Amino acid sequence: MKRSHIQHGLGMTMVLISGTMLFATLLMGYAIYRTSATAWPPVGTGPISLGFPMLSTLTIILSSYFMRKVRTEFGDLKKAKMNLDTTLVLGFLFMGLQTLFWNELKTSGLLVSSGIFSSVLYGFTWIHAAHVVMGLLSLLWLRFILKAGTRNLDVKVLNVEKFWHFLGVIWVIMFLTLFVL
Amino acid sequence: MSGGFNEIHPEPTTFWSKYIISFDHKVIAKQFLWYGIFFLGLGGMMAILIRWTLAYPGSPFPILGHLFFPDSAGVVPPDTYAMLFTMHGTIMIFYAITPILIGAFGNFCIPLMIGARDMAFPMLNMLSFWFAFLSALVLLASLFLPLGAAAGGWTSYPTLSTTLGQPGMGQTLWSLAIFLFGVSSTMGAVNYVTTVITLRAPGMGYFDMPLTVWGLWLTAILNAIFVPVLGAGVILLMLDRVFGTTFFLAGASATSGNGDPVLFQHVFWIFGHPEVYILILPAWGIVSDLLSFFSRKPAFGAKATALAMTAVTILSTLVYGHHMFTTQMSPLLTQSFMTLTMTISIPSAIFFANWLGTIWKGSIRFDSPMLFSLGVVFVFGLGGLTGLHLGTVTTDLYLHDTYFVVGHFHYTMAASVLLGGYAGIYFWFPKMFGRMMHEGMAKIHFWGSMIGLNGIFFGMLMVGYGGMHRRIYNPFVYESLQRLIPINTFITLSAIVMGAFQIVFVVNFLYSLKKGPKAPQNPWEVGTLEWTIPSPPVHHNYDVIPVVKCGPHELGNPNLKTGRDFQYQTEELVQG
Repeated sequence: MKRSHIQHGLGMTMVLISGTMLFATLLMGYAIYRTSATAWPPVGTGPISLGFPMLSTLTIILSSYFMRKVRTEFGDLKKAKMNLDTTLVLGFLFMGLQTLFWNELKTSGLLVSSGIFSSVLYGFTWIHAAHVVMGLLSLLWLRFILKAGTRNLDVKVLNVEKFWHFLGVIWVIMFLTLFVL
Repeated sequence: MSGGFNEIHPEPTTFWSKYIISFDHKVIAKQFLWYGIFFLGLGGMMAILIRWTLAYPGSPFPILGHLFFPDSAGVVPPDTYAMLFTMHGTIMIFYAITPILIGAFGNFCIPLMIGARDMAFPMLNMLSFWFAFLSALVLLASLFLPLGAAAGGWTSYPTLSTTLGQPGMGQTLWSLAIFLFGVSSTMGAVNYVTTVITLRAPGMGYFDMPLTVWGLWLTAILNAIFVPVLGAGVILLMLDRVFGTTFFLAGASATSGNGDPVLFQHVFWIFGHPEVYILILPAWGIVSDLLSFFSRKPAFGAKATALAMTAVTILSTLVYGHHMFTTQMSPLLTQSFMTLTMTISIPSAIFFANWLGTIWKGSIRFDSPMLFSLGVVFVFGLGGLTGLHLGTVTTDLYLHDTYFVVGHFHYTMAASVLLGGYAGIYFWFPKMFGRMMHEGMAKIHFWGSMIGLNGIFFGMLMVGYGGMHRRIYNPFVYESLQRLIPINTFITLSAIVMGAFQIVFVVNFLYSLKKGPKAPQNPWEVGTLEWTIPSPPVHHNYDVIPVVKCGPHELGNPNLKTGRDFQYQTEELVQG
């Protein structure tokens, strides 16, 4: 393996460890709220509809699939660009679906300030969305430098890919624990 | 290990790229040093205001009092007092110690001591400083708010830190500033860890690294893992304050469903306990090296010291509960945390004994870096021993939230780290700026500081044992505490003495920067890599990447025939 691969790979690993700790803290908090609550969701709050979160999950999984293809079909730059564009579109679609989900929560009467149940729903998805914005920005940056002659392009593609998968994994865990469970 | 990826970056030419958005680790180190010294002064002045209030409650602060507090005729008002100790703690921990010990020494020493030309990610390094700068601006701005800055203690426990306890914007800006600082710290940590692992000079194994680098490396690992935990905590705190979520609200303040105030304490201390080791590990590393350098002996059990520091690093992640014995934790948990806490004494005792073993029968040179290092040995010993009282559940229930705690953590986190930082500054100043500091002034500074800080912190241990609570504006409204007034006055006078002697340091620093004698390449006669190149080093540090052939502490070898009593790390170990 090339030295630049080791170095940048290690850097990204550290970033992902930090990110994991941030979300692990949130999930630890969630576990405490959930286990100490008398009823979850609280009495009077109906179960929330899973439509948009489910679509979000499918979108982000699909986007991870295309992000992976950017690397595996790296030989053909045109193809790589197409795959990256698809990832970007799906990424923006994910953000759109999240916005629709927040709107739906709002119209159903569940506001940010409606107690700990909605605090968790809004707060955690916001923090995840903020990271997705960072992910989208790095995807855009990658789109910009995705051309022949960029130094260490393969490493950059790999690292952005890792970060994007990380966001996907976190979302799937959040979907399973916050919504399905 | 190394070589190919360690290329020479072109030297910047404009003022902007050379001093402001510099990618050069040496310049970034100096930026962090100035930043830290500025905040050290600011935090120190806040400490003097706090101490004045405790020694002479109700009397106006001399000279500046009328300027700062015109509404109360120069007396520090109660709400300002709470703000002062909050900001003192925050500033000293995040904005003074962290930038000096980790930002300045980490940036300066790691690449130079491992024979690298720069950090692994120079641009990330630059961003790390400017995020810290942004964070400082946010924090300083909060001082000028109409309702004042954060005043819920540096720990910012809810409900003190919720909108109920802190109606103004101060606490919100505090959270934002801490979050930004966390981002900066994490960036630095990613950089340090990667640099140490990938950019060591060829031939340098992990145990050939100076212990300074060990300390900084372990610190960086803890930073990368635990700062995000605090990040999550302050984000949720901000959401509570700005958007009305109820993560940390309970009882009457949570009109729409309960959160959990104690959860913040857990999150805070999961970060907070590793944080105290984040602060002290670089100082341990520096002291372990300097004791050997100035005793002209190899560091006794250097490998054991490195491994003991690693053991402390691992254990530090498992003991946070000892900060929360009084939160109705189950006895099973408190006792587990107590046992784990006590376990830390074992590795600590190992490297402490190694320090003593290092100076034992050494031909000690009492230069200023050595004096400060010996000071660390003394104050850290005291700080560590008083920690036992607080780690034990039975005694902690009595001592919790008294000045005993304040004395203890100042001995470990303030006195040890401050003296360790000064030792580092006096030691590496020649390499940083190419000039020597004035040795006489340095010695005056040492004795003044040493006497001052022991007066302060030992006094604090005593009043704390006497039952004085740590956050009362005027403790002497309680009759039982009135007999502690003389000791409190003594503490305050010691604080003023200590503050006055820091002026000697500032004068020495500024004077030596301009007028100090030119530093030779190796003024202290030690063999680590940074002393094999000119002072100050050229932009790319090493023209040729050095090849390491022996450890960092090869001093006083009787087989040496070179006329020196030490050998450089680039030389083959001389054997009999």
